[in-house]
Order: sequence, then C-alpha cells, then structure tokens
Amino acid sequence: MNIETLGFKPPEDLTAWMGNDPIPTAPYYDPEYYELERKAIFMRSWLVIGHKCEIAEPGSFIRRELEFARASILIVHGKDGVIRAFHNVCTHRGTQLVDEDCGQASSFLCPYHRWNFGYDGQLRAAPELDRFSVRKEELGLIKVAVDVCGGLLFINLDPSPQQTLQEFLGTFIAEGLEQLPVARATTFSEYVYEIDANWKMTYDNFQENYHLRFIHPSSGLATFSPENPYGYPDNYGFYGPHRTQTIWSNPTPTIKPVQGEMFQKTFEVLMKDGLLGGKHERDYFAIFPSFFILGAPSTHFSHMVYPLSATKSRGVIRLYWVGEDDSAAKRLAREYGMATARDIHTEDVDVITRGQKGLNSGALKVMHFQALEGLCRHLYLNVNAMVEAYKAEQQQAGAKA
Amino acid sequence: MSSHSLPAGFEALEPFVARWAIAGSANRAQARSDSTAEERQAFFDAARDLLTPAISYLDQKPLADFTDSEKRLMDLMLSYAHVALAVEIQGEAEPKHARFRQRMIITRSPADVS
Repeated sequence: MNIETLGFKPPEDLTAWMGNDPIPTAPYYDPEYYELERKAIFMRSWLVIGHKCEIAEPGSFIRRELEFARASILIVHGKDGVIRAFHNVCTHRGTQLVDEDCGQASSFLCPYHRWNFGYDGQLRAAPELDRFSVRKEELGLIKVAVDVCGGLLFINLDPSPQQTLQEFLGTFIAEGLEQLPVARATTFSEYVYEIDANWKMTYDNFQENYHLRFIHPSSGLATFSPENPYGYPDNYGFYGPHRTQTIWSNPTPTIKPVQGEMFQKTFEVLMKDGLLGGKHERDYFAIFPSFFILGAPSTHFSHMVYPLSATKSRGVIRLYWVGEDDSAAKRLAREYGMATARDIHTEDVDVITRGQKGLNSGALKVMHFQALEGLCRHLYLNVNAMVEAYKAEQQQAGAKA
Repeated sequence: MSSHSLPAGFEALEPFVARWAIAGSANRAQARSDSTAEERQAFFDAARDLLTPAISYLDQKPLADFTDSEKRLMDLMLSYAHVALAVEIQGEAEPKHARFRQRMIITRSPADVS
C-alpha cells in the first residue's frame, strides 16, 4: 500500500489562481466565436497529426484531411531521411495529388496534367513547361511546418509559425513526451468518432473526474475508494497553455476476476518489455489546444479532438504500443486494453452530446466550473486570451490599412 | 467446422468456435454488440477457466508459427476480451452502451496487421 495516498486530499488549491468566475457559454456553440478560434488557434498552433511510426520507412507518406482548414496535408518521409509536410495541392491548378491515405512514393504525380513533384516538394517535370511563363523553381509544393516530439508528428498551418515546436511545448512538456512509451512506439490501435459537440465540450469531458462516479460507475470502479470517491487526481501542473494532471493511485482497487487476469497478463508483458516504472506513468499531458496523452504504459492512449464546426468535432483515440505483437499474451493484452478504453469513451458520448444540445439555444448564458474542473477553466482562459489577442491584432491591422 | 478445430485440451470451447472465432478486432467488437446476453454469458462461463491455460499454451510459440487450430483459439480468446467486458464490467448496462459504441469506429489494431 502506498502510504502517501492515505488521507487523500484533492489538489483543489492548485486551481485557485484562475479565479472562479462563471464562464460564458457562447464560445461553446457560437459559429462566430468558432470562426475566431479557427483563425486564432487552429490555423496557427502546432497540432498533433500522427506518429512517426506511420512513416517509419524513408519514401513513405501519409495524407491527412483537416476539415477545419479545408486542407489536405501530405506528410512525407523523404528518401533523404527528412520529414516534410506539404499541402496536397498541385501548384498548376490546385488538383489534389494524392488520394491514398498512406503509401510509398519517391515522387507525386498530378493525375490531371502529369506534373511531377519530388519527395522534397520540388517540381521535377511538367509536360510543355516551356509554354508557361513561370520558372520551375517557383512551382514547388506549398510547405507546411512539421516537427516531431515524443514520436508525435506536429504540423503548424501558419506559413510562418510564431514559435518552434520546442518553444511552443516548453521544456517540461517536451522532455516529458520524450520519456513516454509513445516516443518509442512502433504501432498503435485506433478508433475514431464524430460527435455533435463543440471541440471544447468534447475535450473538457476528459479533463475532469467529477463525472466519473456517475457516468462510469462500473468501468471506473477500480478508480474509486472511500477516501477518494470521485477518483480525483493527485496533482495538477500548468505550463503555459498546456497542463498536466497526475492520476491518483488507488491502494485498494476493486477488480473483477477476468479483469484481474487481463491486468496480470498486461503487467507481465510490460514488465518483460521494460515499459514499467517510467517517470510519468501516472501523468496526463494535455497539449494545447486539443490533444492529450496518458503516460500509463498499460493504457497509453492519446486523444486528439479536431473541430469540424462550432457544434461538431471528431475524436481520434490511439493506444500506442512499443514493438509488434509477438506473443499471444501481448496480443490479448492489447485487445483488452483497446476494448476497455473504447467502452469508457463510449459511456461519455451521450452526456457530451446532451451537454451540447443544452447549450445550443443560448438560454443558459454562463456555466460554472468547480475547483476540480480547473483544467476546463484553464483551456477556456487560454482559448479566450488567444481569441482576444487575435481580435486586437486584426483591429490594429485594420487601423493601419 | 470439424469437431477438432481447436488444440487438444480446449474441446469444451468447440461449441463457441462458429460464433466467436473471428478474425479482426473490429469484427470481434461487432460480434459482441450483435450477440445476446445469453450468448455472451454462455461463452463467458465456458471459457472462464480456460483463458489462462489457452494463453499459456499459445505463448509457447511465436504468433507467426500458429497452425489454423491455434489461430482459432487465439481469435476465440481475443473475442473473450470483448465478451468479458460486456459480462463482467458492463453487465446490465451493456445494451444501452452498445448503441453508442457503434459510433467509436475501430480503424486500426495491431491484431489485424499479421
């Protein structure tokens, strides 16, 4: 038994600095506010778009559709070993070059007029190029900033990002990610859902444990105990727009028999692979605006919420694994791990959707976050500060013009 | 299906092969959602004491070397992971959540790669 958890006290004091003002609801349903968020945040922040294991081999690529940007992005691991990202757009007349989700390619050929681009984005050849009055060197693919941290691929749609990825993440978060199994992951399980809810409504559900006892009474059972009935975290951390929480370790979890056998097999597999005992295995890293990953090697899942409209979003959940399945026990542990996480996320869908339906009329003008919903407040405060800064920037630019 | 479709020692699971020895994580998850509570309970009870012996048996060789009967046993146990969650964790809440679970579309699983 971990003596430190006796007499558990949740970290409510750590959110007091943010105040306790009511939060306006309009940012959670209003299309005009969403449009500001889109421009102020999603079009110029570093965003998780995948993992380097998806393009492990030089010569491989993935394509990602980003509806909020109306953009299709190619992330290419060049034959020269460099990872680059481009808009999936022929520089001739805009035709999308690639419609496969992923693949191997040493060049990208436009299906329309056969313009041919190298893995470095340069235009290699185009039929009748001499009939154009533009130089070949000016016709490379439109670059998108891309970088890697903790094995995760991040892109930034701003043509001139204001910060590098490292600056954006800060030392603590960047170093933390590098220490997680995801940094060494070679494969993953994935499930995806679309939901009629604002991206913050969706994301916030996973930032607070206040709902656990009511929405996850069975699947969350192992989290609850008399001293911590809501399964609240042990600690919070705030790092610029990002945040962390430390999962409380329940000394007396209630475990069902088969669940216990599955946990035992998972534990043995992780032990064998040397994946237990990491510095951050109880830490949850929330990276602004809408990504988080849980450090626990047994349920090492990430969740990225992509906005689709003011009241619609898509969640992509991945469980990252180090090494391919090489034994029955490992395969079973991974299947059970994915199915468990999927069950828990399923339980949240209904309440998130109902929350959004309740807000959409605008009848409720403000909502309230308690001290232990402080991570939700932190997200809103950061979003709103960026939206306000963007508005001021636009006004200034307008005044100059 | 022959009457010896599983490795020796696992004959008790033969009646469940047709329903639950399924390739693909998404297909196994779907079978859980499509099944009745009685079907899940029967499989859960029958395999309850065979889970650990089955995995110990299968762990004797690499996945890539599995015979057809061993693959079948593996797929049965992978379905058991889904069924155990339904029976043991969700219980009576299973039908309610099955509807929403359909929305969580499994797009990739390491069990589907090889």
